[in-house]
Amino acid sequence: MTDNERSNSVGPVLRTGEVADAVIEAIQEDNPGRKFVIDDKVSYVRIETEGECIIRKETLSKYMGRPFSITELELDLTSFSGRVETTDNQIRFFLERSL
Amino acid sequence: MALLERNEWYDIARDTNWTPTYVSQENLFPPTMSDPYQIPIDEWETFDEPYKVSFREYVRTQREKDGSAYSVKAALSRSRFYDQACEGWASVLKLHYGTVALTEYQACQFQARMVRFGPSPSMRNMATFGMLDEMRHAQLQLFFPHELVHRDRQYDWAHEAAHTNNWAVIGGRHAMDDIMMCRDAVTGSLMVSFAFETGLTNLQMIGLSTDAANMGDFTFSNLITSIQSDEARHAQLGTPTIEIMVRNGYKEDAQKILDIAFWRVWRLFSVSVGIPMDYYIPLEQRHMSFKEFMHEWVNRQYVRQVEDLGLAKPWYWQHFLDDIENHHHCQQGGIWSWRPTVWWNPPGAVGPKERQWLEKKYPGWNDSYGTYWDVITENLLADREEKTHPECVPIICNMCQIPISNRPGKAWKARPYQFEHEGRRYNFCTEPCRWIFTTDPNRYKDHETIVDRMYSGEIQPPDLDGVLKYMGIGVVSEGGRDGYNYQWIEGFRSAAAE
Ligand SMILES: [Fe+2]
Ligand SMILES: [Fe+2]
Ligand SMILES: [Zn+2]
Repeated sequence: MTDNERSNSVGPVLRTGEVADAVIEAIQEDNPGRKFVIDDKVSYVRIETEGECIIRKETLSKYMGRPFSITELELDLTSFSGRVETTDNQIRFFLERSL
Repeated sequence: MALLERNEWYDIARDTNWTPTYVSQENLFPPTMSDPYQIPIDEWETFDEPYKVSFREYVRTQREKDGSAYSVKAALSRSRFYDQACEGWASVLKLHYGTVALTEYQACQFQARMVRFGPSPSMRNMATFGMLDEMRHAQLQLFFPHELVHRDRQYDWAHEAAHTNNWAVIGGRHAMDDIMMCRDAVTGSLMVSFAFETGLTNLQMIGLSTDAANMGDFTFSNLITSIQSDEARHAQLGTPTIEIMVRNGYKEDAQKILDIAFWRVWRLFSVSVGIPMDYYIPLEQRHMSFKEFMHEWVNRQYVRQVEDLGLAKPWYWQHFLDDIENHHHCQQGGIWSWRPTVWWNPPGAVGPKERQWLEKKYPGWNDSYGTYWDVITENLLADREEKTHPECVPIICNMCQIPISNRPGKAWKARPYQFEHEGRRYNFCTEPCRWIFTTDPNRYKDHETIVDRMYSGEIQPPDLDGVLKYMGIGVVSEGGRDGYNYQWIEGFRSAAAE
């Protein structure tokens, strides 16, 4: 592995569709000021921000246009970079050891 | 009536530890099944799963996942997709279902071991969902190919493969027995939840979905990503286990466990995913090369997760990088040559355009692997098909059970890495396969490769027909042939004519 492959980018990998679209909106709102990358791979989309990435239930519900729980996100959440932590109100991707 | 939020009752619900009075703690959780390190129980009680779910939530979500997967399948089975799908794609599906479907039941059994013997109550709770997940995966991947069996008997290998001694199945079984079926809950959780599920399944279940979508097979694309949405959750069983091991002085053990499992699974995936991505998927539909997918999912994503837990890349990293460039190219040549021994129809598919693509993605391909295909192409152009079938028996690795090979070219580097143990000489494909054997020779020493079984008399008669029958070929279905009936050489014929 070359060193430029090592980064502090974290975030979800989702199946493409309405949930992924809402997540993209929600992440931008919930993680202001963080570098943000979307990598669209036809059947899935990788979304990454620098260091930490939070998706709040309320923000996600707003962009889904209906009440949407963090557990429901599992329908389309196929993987993620970094580590994960879930509560009733939010899901958070992070790293403990930043480069 | 208002329901409590999950976090208000979750800790109480998952705490199912008690003090046994009729039996000792050690009888209830035997170290060989549970935790051979004997890390204190109050340490295990700190196990905090990063990805939480309640049973009520689980059932609701899974119901919705299944509803969507089955309805996409129903729509596609009414279309003519599978009538028109090319043989390359059919080979991807046959290989996938044959190797994956029943492996999911093995994964289910391993999750069940964690449910019963996991030293932490949270681990047992999460593994209960994992066990149900794996049952779902097996059933989906048995049911979906079943409707294709009437078109083509080779799809029946989804059901049958695991019950045969096909050489590819022996390889898969050896690895899965090693990392899932015969490990205690703690070791297995590192091997399965972390090295296997966090590290490598993404390649097969997400990477391949991109190619599937490009092919127009939305049933398959939807199916495998739906499966992976379960994996993303239950793979999280590994993280707290690693943290607890590291904190209790077992960092080196954790590292070794991951290194063993990662290599074992890698060798299988480079065949089962690497070959389809770079050879079976028609050129126009290939999204990225296998190597590019590997960099995305392993070199970037997985390695970073390993390092964040305080562990390191495996010691054999350089061998691994080298293997990404080579192993599946070697095995594409080998499997194609031995096509009558497999249950799919591997396309050679190295016409002029494909070779250009391979050279671009893997610089140097033409001067090495290309020279091997030159000879085959020449024979096919001259109507000497019989010369494209090998006459000698390969040497099989005593660990991964895959033929020993290496990059061809001016200097052909194939050689076995050997090890003597109790008077028997073992051959290995690489340094890491040999290393794994030396970590525990007693564990591995009695296993016989398919070729050993020819010489030991287990396979009767010990000739090609006997071996094919032993492997289930001609029994479950006919064996393989070139997927495109050698059409891919036509580009060379027309170039020669000009
Ligand atoms: Fe699974
Ligand atoms: Fe799994
Ligand atoms: Zn090997």
